[in-house]
Amino acid sequence: MVSPARVSERRLSIPNNPITGILLAIPGYFVGVWLGTLFGLADDQNTGVILGYVFATVLFLAGVGFLNYPLERLFGWRVTPISDPDENRGIGRFFRLSLDHKVIGIQYLVTILVMLLFGGIGAMLIRTSLLVPDSSITPAGNYLPLIGLHSVMMIFITSAVIVGPFGNYLVPLMIGARRMAFPRLEALSFWVVPPAAVILAASILWGGFQTGWTGYPPLSEQAGQGMDSYIVGFGLIAVALVTSGVNMLATIIGLRAPGMTWTRLPIFVWGIFTTSILGLLAAPVLAAALMMLALDRTVNTAFFMASNGGSNYLWENLFWFFGHPEVYIFILPAFGIIMEIVPHFARKPLWGYRTGVVGLFGVALLSWFVWQHHLFVSGIAPVLRPFYMLSTELISIPTGIIFLVTLGTLWRARVWFTVPMLFCLGFLFNFLIGGISGVYLSDVPTDVTLHGSYFSMAHFHYTIMGGEIFALMAAAYYWLPKMTGKMLSPTIGRIHFWVMFIAFNSTFFPLFLAGLLNMPRRVPTYDPALVGLNRWVTISAYFLFASMVLFAGNLIYSWFFVSRPALANPWHARSLEWQVPTPVPARNFDRVPVIVAGPYDYGIPNARPVADLGGIVGATGGG
Amino acid sequence: MGAFRIEEADRPHILRLLIVWVILSAIGIVGVLQINYPPYDQSIQGQDQASTLKLLTALATPVFIAVVMMVVYSAIYFRRTTKELVDGPPMLGNTPVQIAWVAISAILVLFLAVVGIATLSSENVAQLVGAPGRTIGGGQTGSGTTGEENKEIHVQVIAQQWYFTYRYPDYGGVETTHLYLPVNHPVELHVTSLDIIHSFWAYQLGVKADANPGVDNIFHVTPQKTGSFQVRCSELCGLWHGHMVDSEGQVVNQSDFDTWIAQQQKDFETIASAVPSYAPYYFPLPLVKGS
Amino acid sequence: MIRRLSWVAAGVVVVVVALVAFVGLFMLRQPGPLEGTTTTLHLETVAAVGQALEWPRPNDPHPDWVGYLPTTTWTVPANSTIQVQIDQEDGATGLRNPFWGKVFGTEGGNMHVTFFDDKGNPQEGDMTSIDPTQAAHTFAIPDLGVFVPLLGVNANAPAGSTNVITFSFKTKGPGRYRWQCFVPCAAKTIFGNGGPMQTIGYMGGTVIVV
Repeated sequence: MVSPARVSERRLSIPNNPITGILLAIPGYFVGVWLGTLFGLADDQNTGVILGYVFATVLFLAGVGFLNYPLERLFGWRVTPISDPDENRGIGRFFRLSLDHKVIGIQYLVTILVMLLFGGIGAMLIRTSLLVPDSSITPAGNYLPLIGLHSVMMIFITSAVIVGPFGNYLVPLMIGARRMAFPRLEALSFWVVPPAAVILAASILWGGFQTGWTGYPPLSEQAGQGMDSYIVGFGLIAVALVTSGVNMLATIIGLRAPGMTWTRLPIFVWGIFTTSILGLLAAPVLAAALMMLALDRTVNTAFFMASNGGSNYLWENLFWFFGHPEVYIFILPAFGIIMEIVPHFARKPLWGYRTGVVGLFGVALLSWFVWQHHLFVSGIAPVLRPFYMLSTELISIPTGIIFLVTLGTLWRARVWFTVPMLFCLGFLFNFLIGGISGVYLSDVPTDVTLHGSYFSMAHFHYTIMGGEIFALMAAAYYWLPKMTGKMLSPTIGRIHFWVMFIAFNSTFFPLFLAGLLNMPRRVPTYDPALVGLNRWVTISAYFLFASMVLFAGNLIYSWFFVSRPALANPWHARSLEWQVPTPVPARNFDRVPVIVAGPYDYGIPNARPVADLGGIVGATGGG
Repeated sequence: MGAFRIEEADRPHILRLLIVWVILSAIGIVGVLQINYPPYDQSIQGQDQASTLKLLTALATPVFIAVVMMVVYSAIYFRRTTKELVDGPPMLGNTPVQIAWVAISAILVLFLAVVGIATLSSENVAQLVGAPGRTIGGGQTGSGTTGEENKEIHVQVIAQQWYFTYRYPDYGGVETTHLYLPVNHPVELHVTSLDIIHSFWAYQLGVKADANPGVDNIFHVTPQKTGSFQVRCSELCGLWHGHMVDSEGQVVNQSDFDTWIAQQQKDFETIASAVPSYAPYYFPLPLVKGS
Repeated sequence: MIRRLSWVAAGVVVVVVALVAFVGLFMLRQPGPLEGTTTTLHLETVAAVGQALEWPRPNDPHPDWVGYLPTTTWTVPANSTIQVQIDQEDGATGLRNPFWGKVFGTEGGNMHVTFFDDKGNPQEGDMTSIDPTQAAHTFAIPDLGVFVPLLGVNANAPAGSTNVITFSFKTKGPGRYRWQCFVPCAAKTIFGNGGPMQTIGYMGGTVIVV
């Protein structure tokens, strides 16, 4: 510990906020482009763009304030504390680097909802283009950039939409901690997301990228500078996955309150736990693959070019080795949410708690062994197909356990049909269809027709949108009273649910048929015989978008125009996050709580409350 | 574990659910068995795929009905009936039920896997999904049936941005713009690409094979009915990916095929000397303008 | 209350403007078609659209890209014979698939070519195929079965020479048909199929049959 007399009085005096970040990022981009032109090969235009984006992002993060602490330590300056959570309750803290996990959660929520708006508009443009079986609405050259933007934006969103807002806000509250283990890492995992989204949107300036989210070379090597947005943007999301994963795991393992044994952990926290393991281990593979793609595009290495000795199979395997755990990163938090919310509204303990945890781990473990099912018709060695077919079909067993646990919790319950509960039931219906269609795709003989067709598109929209986004809605209606202090209107909520549920199924179920009827993915033209089906789907999609607008309206209405604050525990739930007042105090708990019971002990005679919030006398608590 | 006991309070629910499930499943299964599943029966492999699809749907129907029925039943019979919030019975789990559920789902899934693997190793479909010979430079053909009348035909599908052409090595390496196949002959398809990844999808024949540069991807199909089929590219390959459609694929009888191929060979003579001889894959130049 | 309302209203306006811009970017950027429906197409193929002889486009965002001029979207009548004349000013690149050196789908199965031989003397004649290594571009409407290779201007020809290729083909029913070039003529892209080959307005476009 350096004695105060020897610490230099110099300190960084630039105000740290996103405006500074942007002001630094713009010249940073041009510096990167200049360096790329200087050091790149003669005909190469991609090094400049990639370096430009990287410099812009790093300088943006510096402007936001991430380099302060390292630089101050490095040069021995006085360390400026970043937003002490006990002060500074103004709205400005949401626009600056904050180490308070609750602020980060809200920042994530708003950012992701804005990104969701743009991804959704992209989807509406796509469906509008598909009103006609030729490319008369959207010119043929604009369709592929459009689907690339929609799909990659949605991938960025769904990677983080539950772990970001709700994982960050709730995990410390649920485990009785007063902060997260690595607040700066967590803030970093948020602050790379806006640059990633902006970089992705910037791809339009170069004409977009033609490869969709899978980025298969050699097409991705043939594409213009728009592809570099994909590389850098996706790389930033990989950084977010890794940093968030490390932080969540350390927090859950290390910062649980006394008495919070593993068997009393809320199942949502188990969901985040398993997700973080996957994110931590899978994202580096993506980063490596993106790096190889960047090298192929800039300095003419030959990782993926068969004509120069490489192989496009290398990318396919690396990408899907990441890509399959990635989709489980999408759904495991959603499983956690459903299994978390249902007991509180069924007023019954979570039925088969340990089985549910085993199910989550089973899904997480098996997700590493199935990736080649994306490559069944790619020309892999035939001997691999039976193994991966078996492993993929096996993964439906732990998935079925989730249904078992939820249905068991509903059995003979006293279900309180609030809007979150409706979304949970909607999830069960949608994910059932999504999961069953996955079995169709896992069976190699049927996969021959269904791979790369609208059937596979309907499958993943059912699981990701029908699964994760419905879980997001359930989580929003359930936890926003705690996070924002305002209840979302249940009337609008019910209309939102029914319109969304019916429109969603009406949009995506016919797409299974489209795939069975010879419509491949990612095409702006199709057989005129399918016009009626596509028009039905487009009209339904408009209603689906309308339901999301309803949700946005509900958010704005409750957040800005409702003056009555929500109760501290409107759902009368037992779990720990509802035992703190609303708004949540800066340090979460006055004293570190001692956990004495599980969160799902409904109906148990003489059950104790979940925690003693008086805490341990004399304890100073974490951080 | 103990003996498997059904609680008194559960019995009426279980009885109702069982009856409704059996009735709805019966109707559902009968219904789904009536559907004519793609890829229909223009080829033997397509027919096998269609019956697998039928089996999957028939098995999925009772599973789907069971879960949806449970959810709807819970919504109707297990709702809160009192104004105050009353807790439900404290059921923490039921080990025999959990084991039964996991066991049944495991059996179902393993049955599907076994059926799938058996289908894969059956002679017809083994040929569908490719015999060894995919290796670069290999070109060893798979196990074809060798009868005199039903001689195996080899066809190379060359995918390029943005059109499919076809070469018939058995007929002097003639290259054609459309795919004609004689009925009832096993066909060995060698799918390759001149530039980037495409995928050859002949819907009515039940064939889908990715075309990779520098790779000879071997799939088999035996058409058993004459008629036309449509070829589409099903791997994103750039601007005209969605337009990479050939609606003029034909399965024809032997004499029509012989006439057609003879005409193609005649037409090919003008350009034959410029086209490289047949090979499992090609790395043609030029790579860029001016080279 | 008014303050909150105005914040929300401002936010909504910003969002709507951004969305309209977004939609416009993707839906409304159409490369313009030729005026009216025509049965004759007079086109020019050049090595760089900024330096074309007949329809130069110096303000083009990509003046050094190869391209078909004046536009790549044409409207033609159904069930008619369309006469095409292409003034080919580009040098040879060669075909990736030499098979496309043959003429398919034109009336008479051939094309009439005015070109320059190796000594730089003008020649002309009807051809059913060309040497694939001498192709500069192709004109192909695959859904109509039309594939016409366009002979490159000989290196020994006088500067600024043009090969003129004429042929005709029949259209079928109404619809939108894509057309493309099969020569990998996009410099500096992998396999020569990036850049102008994948951008409408240069080496690919739409034939609208009405």
